[in-house]
This record gives sequence, structure tokens and C-alpha cells, in this order.
Amino acid sequence: MNATIASITARALLGRRRFLLLLPLPLLLVGLAWLAHGLDPDPSAWGEPVVAGLGFAVVLPMIALVVGTGVLGAEIDDGTIVHVLATPVARRDIVLAKLAVAAGVTTAVTATAMFLTGVIVGSARFGLGLAVACVVCSIAYSAVFLALSLLTRRPVLLGLLYVLIWEGLLGNLLAGSRVLSIQQYAVAIAAEIAPSPVLHARLSLPLALAMSAAFAVGGTLLAIDRLRSFRLAGETS
Amino acid sequence: MPPSTGTVELHGVSRWYGNVVAVNDVSMTLGPGVTGLLGPNGAGKTTLLQMMAGFLPPSRGELTVAGRPSWRNPEIYRVLGLVADREAVPGFLTAWQFVLASARLHELPDPERATERALGQMELHDAWHRRLGTYSKGMRQRARVAAALVHQPTVLLLDEPFNGMDPRQRLHMMDLLHRTADAGAIVLFSSHILEEVEQVSGTVQVMVAGRLATSGDYRSIRRLMTHRPHVFAIRSSDDRRLAVALMAEPAVAGVDIGQSGLTVRAGDYGTFARTLPRIVQRERIRVRQVTPSDESLESVFAYLVAQ
Amino acid sequence: MASDDAAVGAGVIHDIGYQRYAGPRLGRRHVVTALYLHSLRTAFGLGRSAAAKIFPGIVVGVAFAAAVVLVAVRSQAGGVIPYTYLQFIDGLGIPLIVFLAVIAPELVSRDLRSRVLPLYFSRPLRRSDYALAKLAATVSAVWLLLAGPLLLIFLGGAFSRSGGASAVWREFTDFLGGLGYAAMTAVVLGAFAVPLASLASRRAIAAVVIVVGFVATAPVIGVVNAIGGATAQQLSPLVNPATLLTGLEAWIYRDEKLDVGRYGPLYLLVAVALVTACGAALIARYRKVTV
Repeated sequence: MNATIASITARALLGRRRFLLLLPLPLLLVGLAWLAHGLDPDPSAWGEPVVAGLGFAVVLPMIALVVGTGVLGAEIDDGTIVHVLATPVARRDIVLAKLAVAAGVTTAVTATAMFLTGVIVGSARFGLGLAVACVVCSIAYSAVFLALSLLTRRPVLLGLLYVLIWEGLLGNLLAGSRVLSIQQYAVAIAAEIAPSPVLHARLSLPLALAMSAAFAVGGTLLAIDRLRSFRLAGETS
Repeated sequence: MPPSTGTVELHGVSRWYGNVVAVNDVSMTLGPGVTGLLGPNGAGKTTLLQMMAGFLPPSRGELTVAGRPSWRNPEIYRVLGLVADREAVPGFLTAWQFVLASARLHELPDPERATERALGQMELHDAWHRRLGTYSKGMRQRARVAAALVHQPTVLLLDEPFNGMDPRQRLHMMDLLHRTADAGAIVLFSSHILEEVEQVSGTVQVMVAGRLATSGDYRSIRRLMTHRPHVFAIRSSDDRRLAVALMAEPAVAGVDIGQSGLTVRAGDYGTFARTLPRIVQRERIRVRQVTPSDESLESVFAYLVAQ
Repeated sequence: MASDDAAVGAGVIHDIGYQRYAGPRLGRRHVVTALYLHSLRTAFGLGRSAAAKIFPGIVVGVAFAAAVVLVAVRSQAGGVIPYTYLQFIDGLGIPLIVFLAVIAPELVSRDLRSRVLPLYFSRPLRRSDYALAKLAATVSAVWLLLAGPLLLIFLGGAFSRSGGASAVWREFTDFLGGLGYAAMTAVVLGAFAVPLASLASRRAIAAVVIVVGFVATAPVIGVVNAIGGATAQQLSPLVNPATLLTGLEAWIYRDEKLDVGRYGPLYLLVAVALVTACGAALIARYRKVTV
């Protein structure tokens, strides 16, 4: 974990316009929860669309996608990654620094929003459960998207396919695909910490934790290996 | 500057992408001093530099920098500095922050001192507090070179470093490269412009279509080029009389009389350049136009390859 | 070596045979048509590298696969229709969003990124022409994506339906209804996606913006449905283009799936207003954009 790389990455991420485009999402989440609570204090009807439909299905993956692909993808695209790579810093430290920034920013944004939503919907404990789920799954998502940035030249599209089609469409249709869906891990973890009628966990907690760890570690290792064999593309290619 | 810890050695290095061979069986040994890698666009210079810098593995052959291969070897960057051909820099950083970050990433014991020195060498001490996004192209180039020099590498690779530099900046950069090399470093830069390589006091490696066409110092290449027959198109007030007079000269290899003038093949460029005015004055012929044909860089390189 | 003829002084312009084109020139209509056709081909990756065909190809594959499955199920089940043409189109909601997130940035964001707009606008092509041609290409691409599988379903259904000519005729009218709904879907969804894409010059960001634009309002509808009364439930689908279409379908095709009460015409009004507003926004965007 390299502090210089982390600070430059954080500055690059937070200064970009693409990051600002995302802030409406958590605001929408909290705002909607607050509005709904005002109209109907009993969350049993509207709780699930807000927490699971918007929170875990849209806000968490989308923010993780933009941040996770942004920490490395932008530098690869414009070629400034060479300034980091042409140094003796271990590739592992580079990846860990980027992962820390991506997971940190994603967690900060999503966990805060989900905590506030949880407090509005239920109790502080519920909010805490949602936030913890965000923390764990931010790390998993960030590792996956970081690895995707190094595997392909269109990581955002592939990430969108994963979130929309694999987690979204197929996750609703095929029970088996849920095992590989980070969204479901988040729901399971939150439901375990603070059981609530709003959340319908489809996986057991041990499985969710194990798979989250697998995605996080697997994605990180894959990213480190790809970075070791990174090939620069010249202007003409 | 520590003495050079070795050389850059290539033995039979090739690199291909499917059916396209970018670098074809290149062998060379680079020692201390400035070497120019010259060649037309698409000759494989960038590919060769990327392989030397550890960003591309050779498809075949051996490539070592200071005795160790550069592919998958981050430790090599303690002694190697690269200025890549991509111009982009993080625009939101100032030059100071950019070079300082490089110094820190190279784990230097005194990053601030090194940054100050590198920025001074590249004449950026007036503007180091401004963001790179506000820099001109030449200044950005210099900032990148400063970041590559900050750890005083013994091997410095520069990919088309003179792109976008005006002649004064070019002279200054060349001077800097020579000073770095005089202290014992191996400096290799690539270019496709002959004039940029003129001031190189070391060797010139010429690459054409992936192959190493010729190596040597610039003067010997120049000499090779003067022995190449030059073709001129001449229009004058009396072509036939001029043709007769030119045929008598030993420097002239052949003359063709055509509708639009004479086509003269001269064996020795320098001698012909001195002979023509003498003949014209003696014969009292008015010359309207003298155009050297066949001066394209590619034809020069092609000629060199054929040697 | 310079010419030593002092009387000439300035340089010489060599006549190397350059000639101005003096023949007939096709007009603005041809330019727009050419741009439209080229954009349509680009959307499906035709005329580009193999990598450009992957993502559209995936969606096309998904659509046709679903159609094949439907045909198989229908032929097994005899005369029973598990999914109508309309339901088939509704079911393809998410792949359609993905398709738009792939092609709209390709058509619009790429030109912004590589700054080729001056090349376009220095031709007899107005800015509004460019915007509308791109929009038309997107809409056509979505319609073609739907029409192909629908045709497949029709052919499968026509051959497996028992009942002779009248059954085939009924199938055909259903098919035409499906094509009409596909056109509506293409217009509404396309008009919504293209202006969003024109906001970003990087394709990845444009794709995310489009997806978020479509997906973010869906949970809002869920909340409103849970809380509100009957009126709110009838009106809530208006906020999301996809559900807006479902409501429109329910009203026009007398489908019982979604209850829109008396607000059917309102759905039509909102749809038309949405398409018009998006078209105007797109044209305004291109009027304003400095190349």
C-alpha cells in the first residue's frame, strides 16, 4: 500500500466530473426513504423497493462501478499509468493502494447513504447492518472492477453487463446464479445483522462472507498479476 | 552520478503480433554515451524501446539491461528511466508535485532535493508551482523528462523526446542528454527526423521496417549518403548545351533530356554542388530551377538498407 | 538549392494536376441519408472490427434466443400462447437498456470525443440534421433488434397454429400489433437515451448515465405503488420511460396487465411530450456544443 499513489489517485478521482455525476444517486436514496417515511411510517410496503431495489441493486453497484473502473481505467486510457509503473514500487503495492482508494470512496458514499436510509426505514441497528454490508461488498466490487480494468479495454460495459444482466435479470430468474452475485451477499449480510421484513436474504451468511472474500481476494490477485505483465499501448496502436 | 553498471544488450530480439513483425532480429549493445535510434514511422522504434523498458516481452531473443531482463522486473527501474511516447500527464498536479511523486515512488532518500535538482536541470524552476494542465506541449515534455531523471538513472530511454520542441529547446535537451551521458549513463533516444540526430556525438542506430539497417556514428552515415547517387531536375535557358557540358564532368553519372528539363544523376553530391555553378557561369546559361528529387527520408533509409 | 533566377522572387506553385470537382453534388438529403445509414451500421458493429460487434451481438443473441425459446414453447403447448408479442417486448426490458447503453454512446459520444464534429458541420448538414439522423438511427436500430425476433415468433406461430387461414391471419394481426408496439418502444426509449449519451464524451460514462437514467426511477414507482392509493398507482408509471410504455400498451392494446384507469390518453400525451422534449434537448445540445 503506497501512500503517494493513494493520494494521487484520490485527488484524480474526486476532482473528475464523472464522480460528481454519481452524487445524485445516494441523495435520491435517502430522499426517497425520507419522503416515503413521511407519507407512511410503516416501511413494510415500501421498504423493499427502497433498500433492496434502489440501494443494493442500483446505488451500491453503480457507484462501485464508476469508482472501481475510474481509479485505474482512466490512467490506462490516457497512458499516465507509465509514470507509476516505471518505478520500483511493487505491483502489489500499486494495486492495494488503488483498491484502498476505490473501496474507501465507495464505502464512504454508499455506507453513509445506506446507514441514513436504514435509520429512516427502521432503526439504528438496521442502518448499521446495511452499512456493514456496504463496506464488505464495496471491497468485493472494487476488487472485481479493478481486475476488469486490467483485463479488458471496456471495463465499464462489462461491469454494466454483470450488474444488469447477471445480477439483475438472471439473479431474478435463475436461483443458481445468485451464488455469484455480490448484490445477494450484501442482502444476506445485512439481513443477518439486523433481520427485517424488508430484506429477503437468499443466501446463507457463511456463504455470502466466503464468496465476498473470494471475489475480493481473487480480484486483487488477478489485478496484481495482470499489472506485472502490463503492456503499454503506443500512440499509434 | 555512479559509473555505468553495465550495458543494454540485445541478441536476436524479435517481436511479432500475429502476422505483423514489428521488430525483426535486432542485436545491439549499448554502452555509455548517447545513441540515437533513427527510423521512419512504423519502423519499430517504439516497440524496441518498450521492450527495453520492460513493458513488452520479446517474442524471441534475449534482452538484458545491466545484466538482468527488464520484463516483469520492477527493480530495474532503480537504474532505468523511461520517457514514453504518450504525452499525457496528470493535469491536476503541479510540476513540483508530479516530479516529487516520482522521486518518492523511486524511494529516494531526499525526494525534495532531487525534485529541485531535476526541475532545475529542465529549466522549470520558474513554473514548477503551476499545474501541468496549463503547460505548453514543450514544457510538459520537459516535466516528463524531469520525472524520469529525478532518480539519476544509469539507463535513460526517451521515445521521440523532441516532438513539439522548438530548436532552442532541442539544443538544450540534447545538451542535457550529453551531460547525462558524459557522467557515465547510457542514453537512447528515438527520432524520425535526421536533423535531430545531427548533434549526436555517439552512435546512430537506424531501423527500417523492423530491422536494424545500419549502426555507426553520424559522420559515417553521412558519408554513406554522399556516395549515393543523387537525382536533380534542372530547367535552364539552354538545356542541350548544359547537358553537353555536364556530361564532361566526372561527378555526373548520367543526363536525360526531357520535355520539362534535364534529369541529372550525380554520383557525388558535394562535388556536383560546386561544379554546377562553375559550368553555368562559364557557358553563360541561365538556370531557372534546380530541384533535388528523391530526397524523401524513406528513400534514404531504403538506400541504407540496401547497403 | 534555390532557383537563382532573381526576377521570379517568390516561390513557384507546381501544377501537379489538382483540379476542383466540377461535377454534380448530391444535396442535403443525401448527406442526411448517408449519415443515417452509416450510423445504423455502426450501431450493430457492421463495417468495424470484430470487437465492435461483440456487445451488440450479445444483445441480438439474447433477443433471438428468447424468441427461439418462445417458439419452442408455443409449438409444444399447441394453441396456448404463454407470452404475447407485447409481453415478449416488455420482457426484453433489461437487454434493451443494455443495448441502448452500448449503441447510443457509440453513435454520439465517440464523435464528441474525437472532435470530428467540425468535419460534419462543414458540410451541407445542419446541426439539427445531425442530431435527428443520429436519433433516427438509434430508434431504427432498436426497432430492428425487436422486429427480427418478432418475425421469428410469427413464423413459428403461423406454422404451429392449428385453425387454417383465419388463425394465421389472427397471428399476423398480432404480429403487426407487436411491430407497432416495438416502434413505440424504440421511439420512446431511443429518444430518452440519446440526449443522455450526448452529455458525455467518454463512452463509459455515457453508458452509466443511460443505465442510471433508466433504472433509478424504477424503485420510485415501487415505493409509490406501495404507499399511494389507486390514483397514485395509476399515475406512477409515468416517471419511468419503460413503465410509461407498459402503461401505453395497456391502454392501446386493451391489455389487463396494468391498470391505468382513465389516464390512458395522459400516457400518450406524456409519451409524445417526452419524445418531443428529448428531441428538442438533443438539437439544443448540438447547437450549443463547441467543437
